[in-house]
Amino acid sequence: MSASTETANQIDTKGIVVGLVGIYIAGIAASAEIPYLAFLAGIGAVFATKMGADAVRRVCSYGIGTGVPSIGMLALGMGIISAMFGLALGKMYNAVFIGPIVGLVIALAIGFVVGTLANKIIKLNIPVMERCLMEIAGAGVLVLTGLSVMIAGSMDFVVITEKVIATGYIAPVFILGALGILHPFNASLGPDETQDRTLIHAYSCGAIGMTIAGVCSIAVLDPIAGIISIVIGLAIWYVTFMGFVRLVKRDAGAGYVGTGLLPPGAM
Amino acid sequence: MTDIVTMLTMNWASIIGIVIGGICIAVGVHFVPVGGAPAAMAQATGIGTGTVQLAAGSGLTGLLAAGYMYMTLSAAGVPGISEVALICATGAVGAMIMITVTMIVGNWVYIYGVGVPPASAKKDYDPITGDPQAPYVAAGTVGQGLPTVCFVSGAMGGLLGGLGGSLIYCMLMWVNGDPAISSIFAIGVFLVNAVLPSYNIQGTIEGFHDPKFKRVPKAILACFIASLLCGIIAVTIPGAAMLGGA
Amino acid sequence: MEPAMGMGLVALMGAAATVAGCSEDLESDIGSQSNPNSQVQLAAQVGYPHRIFNKAISGEPPSNAMYCAVGAGVAMVLMSESVMSASPLIEIAIGAFVAALLNGVFSTTSYMGRNASQTRFNQYVYLDVLRNQVLSLMGHAYIATFCIVLLSYVLWEQTLIGHPFPFPVIALIWGLCVGAIGSSTGDVHYGAEREFQDFKFGSGLNAADSGNITRFAEAGIRSSMDNAWFCSKFGGPATGIAFGMVVFLDNWRSTAFGGWTAVVVGLVIVLALVIYNRKIETYARKKYGPYPEYAGEIAA
Repeated sequence: MSASTETANQIDTKGIVVGLVGIYIAGIAASAEIPYLAFLAGIGAVFATKMGADAVRRVCSYGIGTGVPSIGMLALGMGIISAMFGLALGKMYNAVFIGPIVGLVIALAIGFVVGTLANKIIKLNIPVMERCLMEIAGAGVLVLTGLSVMIAGSMDFVVITEKVIATGYIAPVFILGALGILHPFNASLGPDETQDRTLIHAYSCGAIGMTIAGVCSIAVLDPIAGIISIVIGLAIWYVTFMGFVRLVKRDAGAGYVGTGLLPPGAM
Repeated sequence: MTDIVTMLTMNWASIIGIVIGGICIAVGVHFVPVGGAPAAMAQATGIGTGTVQLAAGSGLTGLLAAGYMYMTLSAAGVPGISEVALICATGAVGAMIMITVTMIVGNWVYIYGVGVPPASAKKDYDPITGDPQAPYVAAGTVGQGLPTVCFVSGAMGGLLGGLGGSLIYCMLMWVNGDPAISSIFAIGVFLVNAVLPSYNIQGTIEGFHDPKFKRVPKAILACFIASLLCGIIAVTIPGAAMLGGA
Repeated sequence: MEPAMGMGLVALMGAAATVAGCSEDLESDIGSQSNPNSQVQLAAQVGYPHRIFNKAISGEPPSNAMYCAVGAGVAMVLMSESVMSASPLIEIAIGAFVAALLNGVFSTTSYMGRNASQTRFNQYVYLDVLRNQVLSLMGHAYIATFCIVLLSYVLWEQTLIGHPFPFPVIALIWGLCVGAIGSSTGDVHYGAEREFQDFKFGSGLNAADSGNITRFAEAGIRSSMDNAWFCSKFGGPATGIAFGMVVFLDNWRSTAFGGWTAVVVGLVIVLALVIYNRKIETYARKKYGPYPEYAGEIAA
């Protein structure tokens, strides 16, 4: 395939750096009374989604004995606890800005431990398991923190509890985050799966999460900030979705047909 | 002002509860007879879906019942041990109802829709009823439907799953007193403890009579460590009220 | 709350759940979601390309949890006074509509993605299959989401039942539950019967025939649309009854009884179901008898 391929390290670096930078700019801007930059946290979440999707792609090429979805649920299960721990710790020590980084570090640690458990005790023996679970859990934290910060417009744990958890908006964020990480690979399962198609699909899934989080932020943050997030989310979704369709056309080749009977030889 | 050390020393009992809950879930997952994808084609004994999904579906249904019961009981003050027992029993029974109803309707579909008698290929005779199994296994399959032993095993799995989920919820409520935070964390811990055993099962299991059931100690060890870690982290997260918030 | 009112609400929830379960199952049958999907995916690989919709939105429970959580989340946004305060029914309808749109997007990407990943097996991406069936999928997803969000609202609303969990979290849990039930009951009817309809009735799929799904209909090539026609006769309603029974029985015992009595009543229900299962098991064994291919000895 002539398409450029990204290595795992490049994707991880982009995911973590863009994710954290987005969350921090949004959080700092919000504390300076400018909620309109909240969408940047959503963009961070989009890149983090891509990082998780690539890790799912690598680990699932080994056949993990159960469906692809379970690994995404595992990631978000670990992710939600770590993300909230990071934010709460920041609040407890009056340093809200350490929150997302602490959450990420904890998630990487739990991911490593769970990956080791899966390999050493349950004996899955998948060589990339530790690394991929770390990436998936890290992506889970960044997605959850990013979208929560975007909805609440703050990195303060108390504000997030009140605006995101008590209202229950955490539920769509949780499940859209999980689907964003696991759906891109699951939807492209097959021998002719290509990395660039899966990853552009990850962007589009991340953008869906961002759009829905934007809708939620209308009610709790600021209507204008919410609408900015929705418009940007929809724009990213449209561009990446069209890109996905283009790559489907490329990969399917002559098999991309408007209508028709079964291919020659199969009738 | 709260900090991590005080949170940990105050809530050590909750950590133990979360670990016990996690282990209950891990063992419960092994009891649930899941045939995975082949069962959906009546090609394997068990319920035709994935381990995690079914365990989560039943355990979280139990969690809903337990959450309601917790609210009712906490009207008279923070629930003590005997109330927690009632809450966990409520959650466990809620999960049992969900899973038994699913299995009975699943069996309707197998018997009336697909036209197969329930049979297991892992045992020659049903350990509970003593019925012969092999003559009723269709050619080219490894059993189909849910014979009595699988059904009973599934009910026990629901019991343990619901119990574990409700226990984790109660323990978290002791710590932060906020149903919203506790429910979403309980879902998180539940999923971690349901996915790890499903890797141990590798797709399909018929229940406690399945040879794969012998692998259960490995899952217990893995889930012990994983839920200990989750427990330590989760109990250091206070409710917003303790941080002087709304 | 008065007991009569409580029972009425439980009955309403049970009714909504029945409709939701049925619609959810038909949605997954049209889209070949969940476990029967493995055969649709396999078909092209073993030389049977087809025109059946192939979608896998990460397994039925998470995808339904997603529709329901998003539906409830959007309804919740509309319910907050700063945005709009119309009747909850309208808000839930809008929420379910947004969820149905997501269903359309995710179905489209998985149909295109999965078929494009099987190019080497001569599996085409048919745009007319996509266009015809996506709307039907969205319609069924809308009904299912609407009913589940409605029953979650009844459970959550403080003046009705007043469950302590946040509204979208309740919807998420019921969504997971309906997905788990749908994929373990109704989907079997699709996977074991409809997908292999040209095989003899009365046995599961022989492993040797894996992937040889029924690709031709009464006239011409089978499309997934006919699956709703077939499955709505048995698999769909059965799923509906299952989910309705779960919602009704679980809430009935905690509304009508309290404390340990509710637990005991629940255990009695479980016991009754175990006995009933034994009854239908022996019925099936007597009625169908052992398989003729079985060569061994048949004891009693």
